[in-house]
Amino acid sequence: MPPTDHHGSFLNRISIRRNQITNMDVNHEQELEELELFQKHVTDRFMQLLQQNQTQETTETRAQAQSQLLSISWFQKLLDTYLCCESEFKAVLIINRDASCFSKAPLDRLLPDHLDRTVKALDICNAITHGIELVRHWSRLAQIAVDALEQRPIVEGHVRRAKRALNTLLTSMMVDEKENSQLVGKSAERMWSIGRRGAAGPTTVNHNQKFMTRSFSTCVSKSWSASKQIQAMSTNLVAPRGGEPTGLALPVYIMSSILVFVMWTLVAAVPSPERAGLGAHFQLPRNLTWAHPVIGLQDKIGEEWKKKEKKGTAGLLVEIQVIEKVASSLVEFADGFEFPVGDEKADEVAGQVAELADICRKMEDGLGPLQLQVRELFHRMVRSRAEVLDVMDQVGKINTSVLY
Amino acid sequence: MGSPANDVPAEQIILRWDSTASEDARVRMIFEGDRDEIDRYLHAVDQIQRSMDNTTLSEDESKKVNNTIQIAMARLEDEFRNILITNSTPIETESLTDSISSNPLTPRTSSCHSPDNNERNNKRDIEAVARISSASFTERKTYVSCRSMNSIREQDLIPQESVSDLRCIAKRMITAGYFRECVQVYGSVRKSVVDGSFKKLGVEKLSIGDIQRLEWDSLNAKIGRWIRAAKVCIRVLFASEKKLCKQIFKDLGSAAADDACFMETVKGPATQLFNFAEAISISRRSPEKLFKILDLHDSLLDLLSDIDNVFDSKPAESIRVQSTEILSRLAEAARGMLSEFENAVLREPSRVPVPGGTIHPLTRYVMNYISLISDYKITLGGLIVSNPSTGSRNSGDSPTGPEIDFSEHEEQSPLALHLIWIIAILQFNLEGKSKHYKDNSLAYLFIMNNVHYIVQKIKGSQELREMIGDHYLRTLTRIFRQAATNHQRATWIGVLHCLRDQGLHSTGSFSSGVSKSALRERFKSFNAIFDEVHRTQALWLVPDEQLREELRISILEKLIPAYRSFLGRFRNHISDNYIKYTVEDLENAVLQDLFEGYAVSQHSRRRSQ
Repeated sequence: MPPTDHHGSFLNRISIRRNQITNMDVNHEQELEELELFQKHVTDRFMQLLQQNQTQETTETRAQAQSQLLSISWFQKLLDTYLCCESEFKAVLIINRDASCFSKAPLDRLLPDHLDRTVKALDICNAITHGIELVRHWSRLAQIAVDALEQRPIVEGHVRRAKRALNTLLTSMMVDEKENSQLVGKSAERMWSIGRRGAAGPTTVNHNQKFMTRSFSTCVSKSWSASKQIQAMSTNLVAPRGGEPTGLALPVYIMSSILVFVMWTLVAAVPSPERAGLGAHFQLPRNLTWAHPVIGLQDKIGEEWKKKEKKGTAGLLVEIQVIEKVASSLVEFADGFEFPVGDEKADEVAGQVAELADICRKMEDGLGPLQLQVRELFHRMVRSRAEVLDVMDQVGKINTSVLY
Repeated sequence: MGSPANDVPAEQIILRWDSTASEDARVRMIFEGDRDEIDRYLHAVDQIQRSMDNTTLSEDESKKVNNTIQIAMARLEDEFRNILITNSTPIETESLTDSISSNPLTPRTSSCHSPDNNERNNKRDIEAVARISSASFTERKTYVSCRSMNSIREQDLIPQESVSDLRCIAKRMITAGYFRECVQVYGSVRKSVVDGSFKKLGVEKLSIGDIQRLEWDSLNAKIGRWIRAAKVCIRVLFASEKKLCKQIFKDLGSAAADDACFMETVKGPATQLFNFAEAISISRRSPEKLFKILDLHDSLLDLLSDIDNVFDSKPAESIRVQSTEILSRLAEAARGMLSEFENAVLREPSRVPVPGGTIHPLTRYVMNYISLISDYKITLGGLIVSNPSTGSRNSGDSPTGPEIDFSEHEEQSPLALHLIWIIAILQFNLEGKSKHYKDNSLAYLFIMNNVHYIVQKIKGSQELREMIGDHYLRTLTRIFRQAATNHQRATWIGVLHCLRDQGLHSTGSFSSGVSKSALRERFKSFNAIFDEVHRTQALWLVPDEQLREELRISILEKLIPAYRSFLGRFRNHISDNYIKYTVEDLENAVLQDLFEGYAVSQHSRRRSQ
């Protein structure tokens, strides 16, 4: 593949524009229109995401077109939405623009801030990719239990096998969440009781714990915190007051806000290192008209987070929630198991196993593509950042000095 | 063979080792005991396994068998884990670190600097180089002569006996349908071991944000370390893990168990490893990073076939993809940095004139940079495929860049054209700088010095000379010679003007015909101007010894005959008081004092040391 010089592409477009003899008024009007369209599109797209959930609440059917809020397929739509907004944003920012505005207020401050947020988002993407890998691991453990409990008739051997797998699974989910081993409340109790019931045997549990290094100590340094990253990303996110010269401050603000929202949501849903306090770290001002659907989503997700954070959860991803719920329930069943299982009980268990099987299948099908999407996000952000940096360099905002 | 009666002993053996049933079974490990016990247990498992296939079993018997198998599998899982843990140590690195040479992989051309006779220049050259290339440059010079880490070299991570035990267990687990448990146990233990090895090799966990904030010196060192560590990771660590997986799992069951276990073990660490290189490839571009980026690029390129080899399965595709992505980003970054460099040279804004008109630090920096480029010409030549964008920068008022016609250089590679362009930019910038000298003569001297330096650097390196070509070299030579001429003219026209014949002869009718007053004025002027030139230009500097001599001689060639003849004709017409200099005095003044960069004392004629 011959190496190509991407370096000049956007610059050529800018300089062409600059040299055109244009009617200033027409241009300006066109620009305003583009900005308004961008805003409208953002609102529309996020409205769709919000409505996904609302429709689900009224129907029981697992219609493929609807995606439950915070499910894998919903996230696929969320990331898609982000990518669409990002493309449009780039077009608005760079094409039709006199690049010299990049070196003047307010963009001279806003753009570097946005780029800084992008770098944090890149790190979050990497953490999320790692987190999804972990979720895959959990689904494989769950699959063991599914296979075991789908056998007929269910005998002790199957139950013990399922229980071993589920204990490993639940311990892993807990360990990751309290990575710094400050076990509190229910989760500590649960861990201790797992150890005590000992169908898995204390030796096994000890070994499991020692090598339960699914935690993020392998991926990032101990001091990196997803929650703090989100907080840093949102601290200087300030809505622009009207009337600034370029009219670009608003789209930059919109794009930045969406970026932080998407990252915040991902961190809440997928196991990530250090998420304490996440709920409070991002709040969009409620008076923004374009942001109504985003705020709607934020409210719902924030509430979920508050509920689950107290109990302790591995992540808000719907599939993870189901695993947590069903796995715990099945472990209870396993603890009280006596052969043979009564018909009523057997049906109940069969239902739960089917639910778990369904989730495992969804994960098997969906987590791979989701990881690829996150990676796509990563690439897109890298490219956009490079392009914006190029333009900023060209206008001499950042002077590369020759060091000697 | 399959009758329930024969199963009893087998079942008993398995039940005896149920760790949930007895303290003894929990504390002791089968595979740490004697070989007979191990064989007995495995045999028992096999029997139970066989009886599972028996379709004549009653419901009760079937239930028992299912339960027994589960107990056996749980036990085997614990044994498996235990064997792995007991025998897992992080990779041995001592023998490796010696054999990893930091020798670059693509051949670097050797000569970089022509020896400068002037010590001051040498020192400054070395400093300037050090700042650009830091480790990259000095490492090239320190060659570690041991065999280098340039091919896959697997180690045995676990003793053979344990390996075969593990395989025995894995076989049973997979046959009984416990494949997932087996993979999960294997992966979790081995992954921690790999993490331990990473720590030993100094593979760090830095976020992209961390890396953006690092100072260049520190980052430089980390890149060097990463390159060395990556070679070991891929060629030894991962390769060995893969071999181990094959030894334990190959051909057991139908599910490519060895690939699954390998990925389970290394996917996380491999991603972590490459994330660093990825972070480097997307970091801010600045010219001084270029050569380290090229080192990184070359190392990764060199590792690529081994990466493809080690990560050849379908699940490993993301790792292969990531490494090629990184490679192409590094290439793009390198191209960008070269561009940045060109812009930086063009825009370099310092206005303070270098005292004495000597070599400007920018000139040194650029020429050293170019030399390094020629050292890396094989790599860079492959990456730089488009000609420099000279663009039409001359929009009316004042040119903002040099004009250059590349049609005269059609046969040269794009990289060579970039070098020529860089020199043209440098010159253009120097021209601008020279205008800040108040004295025209000094401005010319400045240009002469710097362009001559450029020429010397090119001539001193065969690669540079080849790339830049004789045509452009001649152009440059013309330029500095012209500057020398301009300088001489600017300085000495005034002086020689004092020694002209016209105006000294009076138009009287007397035969002597020389106007004594005019003559006196001439001598006074000459002395004053020469003094001034002598005093001023002694402080100026021509660092190159040969050039200095040539210039002095050239000056004298015009000055001495003129003065001698002047003296010859007119000394008798005037008192000796007005004659300040002998011919020899002039010679000495020029040959010993001019362009030395030292002040001359007014009252004595300085002798050279």
